Amino acid sequence: MSTTLTSKRYQVEGGLDDAVEFCFRQGWTDGLPVVPPTAPKVQAMLDAAGLDSKHQVSYVEHRAVSITAEKIAINAVMAGCLPEYMPVVVAAVEAIGDPRWSYHGPGTSTGGAAVLMIVNGPIRRELDIHAGDNLFGPGWRANLTIGRAVRLVMRNVCGSRPGLLDRGTLGHPGKLSFVIGENEEDSPWTPLHVERGFRPEQSTVTIVAAESPHQFYNQLSNTAEGVLTTLADSMRISGNVMGQPTYVLVLAGEHTRTIAQSGWTKKEIRQFVWEHTQNSHAHLKRTNRMSGAILPGDDGKMRPLAETPDDILVVAAGGRAGAFSAFIPGWGSRRSSQAVTVAIKGAKEVK
Amino acid sequence: MTELLDPTTEALSQPIAWAARPRSLEGKRVALIENTKYNSDRLLQKIGDLLVNEYGVASTRLFHKRNASVPAHEEIIEEVRKTCDVMVAGVGD
Repeated sequence: MSTTLTSKRYQVEGGLDDAVEFCFRQGWTDGLPVVPPTAPKVQAMLDAAGLDSKHQVSYVEHRAVSITAEKIAINAVMAGCLPEYMPVVVAAVEAIGDPRWSYHGPGTSTGGAAVLMIVNGPIRRELDIHAGDNLFGPGWRANLTIGRAVRLVMRNVCGSRPGLLDRGTLGHPGKLSFVIGENEEDSPWTPLHVERGFRPEQSTVTIVAAESPHQFYNQLSNTAEGVLTTLADSMRISGNVMGQPTYVLVLAGEHTRTIAQSGWTKKEIRQFVWEHTQNSHAHLKRTNRMSGAILPGDDGKMRPLAETPDDILVVAAGGRAGAFSAFIPGWGSRRSSQAVTVAIKGAKEVK
Repeated sequence: MTELLDPTTEALSQPIAWAARPRSLEGKRVALIENTKYNSDRLLQKIGDLLVNEYGVASTRLFHKRNASVPAHEEIIEEVRKTCDVMVAGVGD
């Protein structure tokens, strides 16, 4: 597809090093060097997604910002994406403009949320989006550059610059990139995207405004109830306890097999965790999370960590070995930002 | 020489019609728009009381946003338009 690139152009004297330093000086980077965005690279990115440069992928109403395919492509080049990653980046950018995700809160808040992206469907394997060992750690180009591209779009297009319109008090490393795949091949459960209304052969990205992962371990139990009791105990006081955000449970190999051997589905996992992570009003008041004096009956009055069991998303991912899994508290509350799942357009459907 | 494309963009410009500023608060009806954060209602009510006691404001009325992360919803704006002359919005944290 032939398109006209209309972004302002800068001529930079010298070689590659000079171009990289120029990008730093312009304030375009996240603190790491970027790939200089030249027209042929940007065009290749657009071609891979079959998009016209002027196509508006997303409109962030809170910022009055139109995010075009051209700007996404430029930032994806800078992030180090391969052109074939572009459809995933585009889908994630479409999701951050969705009113249910509600950009202004997670993009700006002192709470310091990152954009957790969970990729499902055949595109995960095609692009080698990692779902195994060192799930959140380094090592996979797709995982690190796709999330980085979205964050660069937030910075350069939406104005979410740290210290200015991104006011995270602490932030966390996931704000550089926070992309995982679901290990559907080894999972005994219904994939996340199918639970959320898509077909198994579709490829999707689910975004969640999220804190960092919190790891827990249990190497003693051989039942679902045993493993999930430990999880619930670690999770009960976490995130915005009073806000009731969305949660993501990332269950890795050993725990997944133990829970599956007990015959539990994702629905049963959600229900159990929801029931066993509730806090009494008395405890919330004693620990200065809920305002007011402790009243008679507060010891038995329970407040769930999330509004409903369905606000707990369950994902099978992580290494095969090791009795570790993680929970990820969402940012804020379900009322202020919800998880959004978007189909990745142009992705092949493999049955 | 390398030619680079600019990754940034500007917010779309849009016309804003400013409401006329009152010369005095004497006899005005004041809307207080609170954003649901802890104590934002108390802070705004204190401001409202000051406006009544020291600036001759006729009345104050507290409105609640749905949550702190979104603009005030249409129903609030419409009600303020109908029943108030001036508004104060604030963040409590």
